[in-house]
Amino acid sequence: MDKLTDLRFIIGLFFSLSGVVLILTYFVVTQSNHPQMNLYAGCVMLLFGLFMLLMFYKGDAADA
Amino acid sequence: MHLALPDYLVILLYFAVVLTVGFMIKYKIKTTNDFLMSSRSVPLWITSLAFISANLGAQEVIGMAASGAKYGIMTSHFYWLGAIPAMVFLGIFMMPFYYGSRARSVPEYLALRFDDKTRSLNAVAFAVMTIFSSGISLYALALLMKIILGWSFEFSVFMAAGIVLIYTFLGGLTSAVYNEVLQFFLIVLGIAPVVFIGLHEAGGWSGIVKNLPEAMTHTWKNMGSVDDNPMGVNGWGMTMGLGFVMSFGYWCTDFLVVQRAMIARNMSAARRTPIIASFPKMMMPFIVIAPGLIAMALTNAHAGFSLPLKPDGRTDFDMALPSLIAHYYPSGLLGVGVTALLASFMSGMAGNVTAFNTVFTFDIYQAHIKKDGTDEHYLLVGKMATVFGILASIGTAYLTSRFNNLNDFLQLVFSFVNGPLFATFLLGMFWKRTTGHGAFWGLLLGTVFAAIFHGITVAEGKGGWLGFNVYEFHSGMGQAFGVATVAWTCCFIFTILVSLITKPKEEKELEGLVYSLTPRLKDPKNPVYLAIAMIVLGIILNLLFF
Repeated sequence: MDKLTDLRFIIGLFFSLSGVVLILTYFVVTQSNHPQMNLYAGCVMLLFGLFMLLMFYKGDAADA
Repeated sequence: MHLALPDYLVILLYFAVVLTVGFMIKYKIKTTNDFLMSSRSVPLWITSLAFISANLGAQEVIGMAASGAKYGIMTSHFYWLGAIPAMVFLGIFMMPFYYGSRARSVPEYLALRFDDKTRSLNAVAFAVMTIFSSGISLYALALLMKIILGWSFEFSVFMAAGIVLIYTFLGGLTSAVYNEVLQFFLIVLGIAPVVFIGLHEAGGWSGIVKNLPEAMTHTWKNMGSVDDNPMGVNGWGMTMGLGFVMSFGYWCTDFLVVQRAMIARNMSAARRTPIIASFPKMMMPFIVIAPGLIAMALTNAHAGFSLPLKPDGRTDFDMALPSLIAHYYPSGLLGVGVTALLASFMSGMAGNVTAFNTVFTFDIYQAHIKKDGTDEHYLLVGKMATVFGILASIGTAYLTSRFNNLNDFLQLVFSFVNGPLFATFLLGMFWKRTTGHGAFWGLLLGTVFAAIFHGITVAEGKGGWLGFNVYEFHSGMGQAFGVATVAWTCCFIFTILVSLITKPKEEKELEGLVYSLTPRLKDPKNPVYLAIAMIVLGIILNLLFF
């Protein structure tokens, strides 16, 4: 439970999933209003989420 | 603005995460210390981001974009002048007393330094203000969601209040702080795309400069006279009123923000919290003010976007950020933008409620109602105070919706109460002769004189309620800075005068509470160099947009 309440894990998970939603929206939903923004923002959010998850796992390994 | 499935997915994901955080942290909450003070074990990067996020509520996000559209880059004074120096001062000079005294709240520091009546005056005023602030935040959320999404007032109020209640009741301060940090990243990543696309559409900074009046694109150049800039404030009024009195009064004494530094793991981290936080703080104008400038520039350039108008035909500056998001964001990213706005409202409310429950439990209930209760008893009181805080916020939101002028009136009263605070703390920490009677009467008379000053001056048709007018300010903002300066000066003078004729505490009782009676800290991670770097960066930003 302690590991799951690490804020890096929570933030990483949220932004990774949100990034995936935006990227999928770009590929699946046809839109006229700057659709490429979903792809760019989705990639940034996914990368940020993965970075936070990496920090979480690195911190976790260091603690162990 | 219409939301589609991807937007709702992002919003639901956010709600699921914040509620899950509350449920998971619940298992860590065993004592009052865990619930109200996060066991003083929060890592530095979290306390630093929470420190600025506690202030990054919706009024800030929506309000600063609105100010950016109305006043231009001068709005950055609220950051580069009105926050950075005060945050650095707090870290270097004041945190050693807050943290070192082991006080659990700012009012408790006042009890240790002065006496119970000064503590009670500050605690009651703070408790009332936090509840009203929380309620106003809730009201603003419901109003915005009604305008942009068509959600009913009741649905927004009870949905937001219910979620905040669940995660603060279960996880206490830790839960609120975690969500503040999540909200910080959401705001940055959720609003940054609108800045990028807006800048591109406006033709970059040079396009903005071309389409805005010259006074809106400089911070200091037009501050020689109140007539030369849209804020109607001159350099002296800005520096003294905002840069000193209001800024130091808020960042150095308001428990809502100071609490985030007080829960750091050790003294060194507590001191570095506000200093590290000053870096993202000085970058925030590029996220929260820039949309306002972009919206105004695009409107003036007739570039396919224009700011909405109010029913009376005037420009609705408050809609600068929401209307940009609605105009440029596709479905999906729109959900992120709306979630960022929702998060800022809810986080602002949670911040107020978690500060309220701490002050109520320690400084009102334990100090005056039951001094010798068990830890379980105070934990229960803290949780009940959380429930009461949320219910009172809902009540305030409804009250504000029924009485249109209540918000303005409360903001005015808050300015009377906040104005003198920094004088009390400054004298208390740096002049050992300051007495409890001096602090109490200084605070009280500072507030009274602030109200009187407002009653005999006028600006934009406001003030002058005492029936005669001795001075007319060029703008409401100028009047607010004037009121704050009078409050501070009167508090400073009356505190000194009353202190000189009353008996001070023994020096032994003041060790660790007053600068001259506290041994200098030997911190291997001396924050002074970091503080100097932040001040230099702040000066560079001022010069870049001079």
